[in-house]
Amino acid sequence: MTVHDTRGMDMAADTILRIEDVTKTYGAVRALRGVSLEIRRGTIHGLLGENGAGKSTLVGIISGQNTPTSGRILMDGRPLEQVDVKAMEEAGVFLVTQEPMIIDNMTAAENLMLGIWPNRGGFVDWKKLRADAARMLAGSGIDGSVTAGRLDAVSRRKLNILRAMFSGGRVIILDEPTAALTVADRRALFDFMRRLKAQGVTFIFISHYNDEILEICDAVSVLRDGSLAGGSEDVAALSSEQLTELVLGRGLELFQRHRRDHSDKAPAVRLRKVAGKNLSVEALDIAPGEVLGFTGLPGAGAKELARAIFGLHPASGLIWLDGHETALPGNPRAAFDAGIAYLSDDRRKDGAVGQMSIGDNIALSSLNARSRMGFIDHKAEAGVVARYFGAMGVKAPGPEYAVDTLSGGNQQKVCLGRVLATNPRLLIVDEPTRGIDVGVKQDVLRIIDELSDTGVSVIIVSTDTDELVRATDRVCVFDHGSIKETLSGDEISVERLRASVQA
Amino acid sequence: MSNATVNAAPGVGMAKDKASGHAVLGWVLHNVVWIWLIALVAIFGAFNDYFLTVFNLQNVMVQATVLGMLGLAVALPLLVAEIDLSIPANAGFSAAVGALAYSDLGLPWFIAMLAGLAVGTFIGFFNGFCITRLKMVSLIETLSMMIILQGALLALTQGKTLTNLADGYVWIGQATIGGWPIMPVVFLLALAVMGVVLQRTVLGRSIYAVGGNPVASNSAGIRVDRIKVITYTISGFLAALAGFLLASWQMAITSNQGSSYLLYAIAAPIIGGVSVFGGRGNVRGVLGGVLLLTVIQVGLAIINVPSFYVGMIGGVMIFIAVAIDAIRVRYFG
Ligand SMILES: Nc1ncnc2c1ncn2[C@@H]1O[C@H](COP(=O)(O)OP(=O)(O)OP(=O)(O)O)[C@@H](O)[C@H]1O
Ligand SMILES: [Mg+2]
Repeated sequence: MTVHDTRGMDMAADTILRIEDVTKTYGAVRALRGVSLEIRRGTIHGLLGENGAGKSTLVGIISGQNTPTSGRILMDGRPLEQVDVKAMEEAGVFLVTQEPMIIDNMTAAENLMLGIWPNRGGFVDWKKLRADAARMLAGSGIDGSVTAGRLDAVSRRKLNILRAMFSGGRVIILDEPTAALTVADRRALFDFMRRLKAQGVTFIFISHYNDEILEICDAVSVLRDGSLAGGSEDVAALSSEQLTELVLGRGLELFQRHRRDHSDKAPAVRLRKVAGKNLSVEALDIAPGEVLGFTGLPGAGAKELARAIFGLHPASGLIWLDGHETALPGNPRAAFDAGIAYLSDDRRKDGAVGQMSIGDNIALSSLNARSRMGFIDHKAEAGVVARYFGAMGVKAPGPEYAVDTLSGGNQQKVCLGRVLATNPRLLIVDEPTRGIDVGVKQDVLRIIDELSDTGVSVIIVSTDTDELVRATDRVCVFDHGSIKETLSGDEISVERLRASVQA
Repeated sequence: MSNATVNAAPGVGMAKDKASGHAVLGWVLHNVVWIWLIALVAIFGAFNDYFLTVFNLQNVMVQATVLGMLGLAVALPLLVAEIDLSIPANAGFSAAVGALAYSDLGLPWFIAMLAGLAVGTFIGFFNGFCITRLKMVSLIETLSMMIILQGALLALTQGKTLTNLADGYVWIGQATIGGWPIMPVVFLLALAVMGVVLQRTVLGRSIYAVGGNPVASNSAGIRVDRIKVITYTISGFLAALAGFLLASWQMAITSNQGSSYLLYAIAAPIIGGVSVFGGRGNVRGVLGGVLLLTVIQVGLAIINVPSFYVGMIGGVMIFIAVAIDAIRVRYFG
């Protein structure tokens, strides 16, 4: 409608969204420093950058979640008065945030329809709500009548994505939507995006995965330290290496573990007769210094076994650790005391305490070891905090900042630092690099590799096949609660893993 | 394009001015309880010379002691994102137990007093147990506990006021050193101990973590239920101590002892910045909230506001304090 606006003439007529010199500061932190950007109508525009570069902040501003310190945004050539989420949704801009936004005690169907409840004269039309929700949920594997709080991280995320997809919006922003999705879910999401794109819907797509960017994006823009650092209008012509270089401003050597064969070693950990809900594993041995991968579809048992070993998934069974055979730990404290540490994949729910500082979070699981008669040894604590704050490269002015103020990937680093600080003998990490940028991902895999050299056994639960190939010695593929197949040595390849998981 | 650059320059300058103004406002709002406290002291002082006398200062300190102990007791469950409404009732009931154990059972007053403290502590423990193990909702569980304890106090006293208290029992409430009452020392000690516990111990850190995110705390290896039970138990102990001090100071235990403190005891920590959602707050804030409420109460009494208006004006003052705090949280986190 405003295409023929006189001022609109000199800018590309097909620019739907124009970001002009947007700045955002949080106290001393400058999250965005004068970003200008144009998004063309009917394209999928990738937004890239390292953890803390400002991607979520920028799309938060575009969608009305937060207000810029300065600068403005034009849609169809018209400046938008910065307004709230509701107004932006009415203007056709929908955001799927990085962390799933779900109301736990509403059903999945109600969550889908949040704020857009079909109603008749103010009364919610429940029949229509359920029918609409059922249509949207078809094929997603989610039951609309289930309370959302009981859904796993993947389903929670899917709900947010589906809501945006069916919103009828003209600009849909997806902030790391594929983290946690299975290969099949991801394919379904991409197909859906392509269909909507053909109908003229514009997407802004944030991801740390090069293959996804190369597959789906038409153009990309790169943020670095809050400024626009580059971009490309012709993604098809880029290689994965070039993309990485664009993001980091330097080349990157991808980490590849030198795979070891542990079959002749006496195991450090033995699991026997583990049985619980959706879980039944007869026997599993893990060698000292071994990095073992767990993978499978959601609910197939990989995550369940990992959580059972840590006392978070109710299960019976025996664990043999360093010569002692005991029942599986009944709670996380007992597990930590036995030398088992676990990093959850849902950092918002059971990863970090958001309102506490970075340092307090890093020290949280190892306080007992760094205290005397209940009094915290502040010197020892400061030491461990400084060590992991540095080792993980957390991007913040200092460890006294609240975890809430960190970008998603940096929160993940804090959680990882917390479990490493317990000096575990068995380290279990669930999706350890989810949301972490490609540079830091190599650092994390390297840290795990070095840890295994000291004799620590590591279990990596992951749906990221590339990560499993790069970091593990052996991979257990789960199905229906038990181990379906174990791959080791040269058998571990992306193709082989994908085939085994899907079969 | 050049337009944008020209515009950018003044924009940046403005942002800087705004930022420093913002910081000052943030500081003011962060310390609003203390600023409000000083302002009220000045206002009341201007209205009535008596308000700024040493004698009245001592009066404020004594009055603040019982409220302060109760406020501390309320603050602890709030920090773990729970609540305890039974605290003032616990104070009244446990004090009556201590007094009756002396007068009716003939125990030495000190042993009787310890028995009262033990009962109050156990009530706190029991509340914690019900909330964690039986998964009862703290709001309702402690509400019913409050009603039970109020009823039990009425039954124990048979509606009469207990005045048969040992000299030793009432000593702490009456004693002075060089004219200064010593009761407030107990409150200051309790504040200091709780401050140390919250800031320097594993328990304190665990309390903040549990209040901030119980699920994450559990995964981080904190025994969430145990921390809550310990918190409630300490809180019960503080409540009983408050009850003892109140009885000792008034030299009497009425059949509804403590009940009138309920709303103020909850308001004080919240005004002082203890979050009802858990994980936020400190003893400095509790002290500020307690002093503010006490100054309002004492001040209104002294400047001869007709008694019909005292409740309303006091309520409005508390309302303003809470509203300013809400603005602070909203804009400055
Ligand atoms: N509320 C806040 N208070 C202070 N700083 C903040 C706040 N929100 C974000 N930041 C800071 O702004 C910067 C940009 O964060 P943002 O979340 O936009 O990064 P991102 O590019 O999305 O990173 P990631 O890939 O990790 O998700 C970070 O340095 C972050 O610490
Ligand atoms: Mg982000």
